[in-house]
Amino acid sequence: MAKKVKAIIKLEIEAGKATPAPPIGPALASHGINIMQFTKEYNARTSSRMGEILPAEITVFQDSSFKFVLKSPPAAYLLKKAAGIEKGSGEPNREKVGTVTKDQVRQIAETKMNDLNALDIEAAMRQIEGTALNMGIEVKG
Amino acid sequence: MDKNSWLEVSLIVKGELAEAVSEVLARFAPNGVAIESTEIKAAPDEYGEPTGPLRVAAYLPIDDKIEENRQKLEESLYFLGLIQPLPKTEFKIIQDKNWMESWKKHFKPIRVGKKLLVLPAWIKNSDPERIPIKIDPGMAFGTGTHPTTQLSLLLLEEYLQPGDNIIDVGSGSGILSIAALKLGAKTAFGVDIELNAKAVATENAIINDIYEGYYFEIGSVEQVKDGIFPIRQAPIVIANILAHILIQLLDQGMGDLIAPDGILLLSGILDVMEEKLMAEIEKHGLFSVKRIQMDDWVGLAFRNK
Repeated sequence: MAKKVKAIIKLEIEAGKATPAPPIGPALASHGINIMQFTKEYNARTSSRMGEILPAEITVFQDSSFKFVLKSPPAAYLLKKAAGIEKGSGEPNREKVGTVTKDQVRQIAETKMNDLNALDIEAAMRQIEGTALNMGIEVKG
Repeated sequence: MDKNSWLEVSLIVKGELAEAVSEVLARFAPNGVAIESTEIKAAPDEYGEPTGPLRVAAYLPIDDKIEENRQKLEESLYFLGLIQPLPKTEFKIIQDKNWMESWKKHFKPIRVGKKLLVLPAWIKNSDPERIPIKIDPGMAFGTGTHPTTQLSLLLLEEYLQPGDNIIDVGSGSGILSIAALKLGAKTAFGVDIELNAKAVATENAIINDIYEGYYFEIGSVEQVKDGIFPIRQAPIVIANILAHILIQLLDQGMGDLIAPDGILLLSGILDVMEEKLMAEIEKHGLFSVKRIQMDDWVGLAFRNK
């Protein structure tokens, strides 16, 4: 029987390092989720990818049971990696902090295609380019 | 400001802005960012879909740099807002608390199989027809609610005969040994390499009124096999551990702990790991007699040839 969904939460956290501290604690405790169970399972599933940001999308049901799936790393994380920078620009409208090529944008769009609400790869690439613009990363080529 | 607290920073934004805002917040929040749907679209299956705006939240530890970090964060959001307008940022101080405890008020007893009821120690057994297994879900090991524990309990209920002895490898909280004894096992021998497991398992045995037949040792499969402990074989061997560890334990001789015509019950196996585990099982002269699945976890029973 279908269970009613109460909330959908995406946690953008580091693989293998989930702990009850914020943001996980406050995000999950208010929905009655067993935090230990989530952190244990997330860490078990992601321990081979330490160092990456691996989002978990958690579906919380009315009875406080939950399921989660792992998502592809955030576009911002992949863009920073591709541009070889540690963080986005503090003033993205004026200060550009890095550059990525169109091919790199395409690769990122392909990686994230399943997680993006995009009809085709071109639409996905436009979303990635939008994120790059907001971070002060230029797209060339 | 209280240093045992956090500054919650949150914005409710359109979906396409969530990543950019999340990236800015993540620069100042050491543990990551939470993005929560504000509305759910009903779906015919059990999965709803998030619709409408998203709430992006991050938590800055309140320390000596909090004012500086807050100012930098506000500046970064201001400049992002020059590209795409952003709503007002909400700031709220939240006290650090035991997040592990706060979910407990939502906990409900769970029926497992035909006979068992897993419930936390603070709830009275409301179902006297069932055998209560009390477990404190706040402890460092299995809570009884996880599919892997439920699969283990289902297998125990099916295969354990009154009077059997069992070896519980990687026994952790001791829940499986406790369940075995309550289901009629003569003795349960729990063994784990985690040093703090003994204290947790002992405490759980006490809250379940188990005072006889339960033995627990810190040690390895190889040590059990080598006869260091009084029990080195049993008709039932159970292990609820992740699949890659189970494979290592098979190599260390876990199969040798099964008495002739005995049975090995394994849980903790993600379905994507099942094939790899089965290939190892073949090498150790065991054959499958039962497979059950809950979500993407698998429980398996094997007999020795």
